[in-house]
Amino acid sequence: MRGPANPEPRGVGRRLSASARPSGGAWGLWLAQARAEFVASLRAPDFVIGVVGIPVLLYLMFAPPNARAILPAGTRVSTMMMPGFGAFGILSLVLFAFGVEIAQERGKGWLRLMRATPAPAWVYLGGKLAMSVLYAAVTLAVLFVVAAAFAQVRLEPRQWLQVAGVMIAGGVALAPIGLALGFLARPRAASTIGNLVFLPLSFASGFFLPLNSLPEFLRDLAPYLPTYHYGRLIWSSFAPAADITAYTGMEPAGTLTSVAWLLGTFAAFSLLAVWAYRRDRRRDEG
Amino acid sequence: MVVEMRGVEKRYGDVRALAGVDLAVAPGEVVGFLGPNGAGKTTSIRVMLGLTRPTAGEARLFGGSPDRLEARGRVGVMLQESGVPSSLRVREVVELFARYYPYALPTDEVLARAGLEPRARALVSTLSGGERQRLYFALAVVGDPDLLFLDEPTVALDVEARRAFWQQVVGFAELGKTVLFTTHHLSEADAVARRLVVIDKGRIIAEGTPSEVKRRVAHRTVRFRADVPASDLEGRPDVQRVEIEPGGLTAVYTSEPERLLRELFAQGADLRDLTVTDADLEAAFVALTRRDGVAA
Repeated sequence: MRGPANPEPRGVGRRLSASARPSGGAWGLWLAQARAEFVASLRAPDFVIGVVGIPVLLYLMFAPPNARAILPAGTRVSTMMMPGFGAFGILSLVLFAFGVEIAQERGKGWLRLMRATPAPAWVYLGGKLAMSVLYAAVTLAVLFVVAAAFAQVRLEPRQWLQVAGVMIAGGVALAPIGLALGFLARPRAASTIGNLVFLPLSFASGFFLPLNSLPEFLRDLAPYLPTYHYGRLIWSSFAPAADITAYTGMEPAGTLTSVAWLLGTFAAFSLLAVWAYRRDRRRDEG
Repeated sequence: MVVEMRGVEKRYGDVRALAGVDLAVAPGEVVGFLGPNGAGKTTSIRVMLGLTRPTAGEARLFGGSPDRLEARGRVGVMLQESGVPSSLRVREVVELFARYYPYALPTDEVLARAGLEPRARALVSTLSGGERQRLYFALAVVGDPDLLFLDEPTVALDVEARRAFWQQVVGFAELGKTVLFTTHHLSEADAVARRLVVIDKGRIIAEGTPSEVKRRVAHRTVRFRADVPASDLEGRPDVQRVEIEPGGLTAVYTSEPERLLRELFAQGADLRDLTVTDADLEAAFVALTRRDGVAA
């Protein structure tokens, strides 16, 4: 089964097979990557349940009993709770679909194989981002329907869209946290680190329970957390300031301050993620 | 030249993984890289691919830097320690990978080439070791590469799977493509490669066709049963190595079996079960790496 005899040296021009076809552009590549990510995630039921099911389920447990409680300016407590659990779901996407998945795929050598191909690094991240945004949208859609049906949440059409828009845009701003985790953490440690960050952040940002029902040190800590400002921005996209203060027990930080926090987080963690990515590649390069 | 390495050195701290490698591979060649573990085979391949930067010297792919996307688009690789998402189907992974390359072969052709048609709808997580290896081969050829790098492609395959695998590689080489592979299995290199490069301690210590490499050592193996102490034989200048094989046979690797036997008979040695065999690559390899002062 010996191969053909080594021919005389000749040019190094491209030698395409007759059946080879051009693969299409960057757009098709990105769509294909996003599609593969999505299809793969659908086959992991624990992922879908974790991301979509748990926030909705928790909301169903906590919100309906509070549906009759009404804040001074007229917003229902169950309405204030809705985006809290949505933010919790989006944070889980940031930390797990982005962070932990990337760390594990690094560990399995998938990234190493991709790096040997001409596919640019943004394709991999772009695919993950597209999939995460899609899951965030699905989570919010299910959550909104459940909230309207079982917890008497009523908003203007414009308000529904605003909440969803702010939640998804803010989630994208937080995504580099997951990215940095994905490239910094050792593959085996990533899941533990993700869990260690996830629940404390969710509590300390008031996603589950209003901050004024939490220990005082958490209330002191909250204004220094990007996720707290994420929550503030979401609430102020539909609720009067008086109700936000009444619900959270925190003085408003100001929309600009919160936007600055998210932009700063995006920039700082992007830099960290780029540094970590390069470090990982250097290690791989030896 | 498809691949060129000039004076390539690679240091990891105090360890010199490559100590000055010069190599040129022409289009259409099938080249086997041989060497013991840690000899520098994988490092050489990674430098050629631009996945590892050399400490000194230069590597060129298709006449330019191996880092260029243009070069990457013409290369297919099978790496050690790589993985694919386990919840995708075989066909899905191949179709996704096809997108990574500027040109791609039709998915059905790739699956046929890799012998994966019956498993096209299987999830990656359900593949056997051999099927997984064939999937990596499919991913390596889907971009219709001009150059195929295979790093220990048959590790963990049984004999039958190995033979089938190399048939696929030869089929690809017959299209006029260049193939570079590393292996531990000398018989595979002997059967598949047109040129062998033997590397040890980060240096190329022998190069040529399989028969040239064998001829370079030009020794044969004399096996017999006798009461001659191994230490007597090892002292001889024409003897490279002596082994007592399981079952009590003495195996002597020598360049001049006639002289050895003449002298043993002259001493009145009683040799039973005597055989003289041609050098196989295994023996050539052991002798080559030992001559450099290194035990393989």
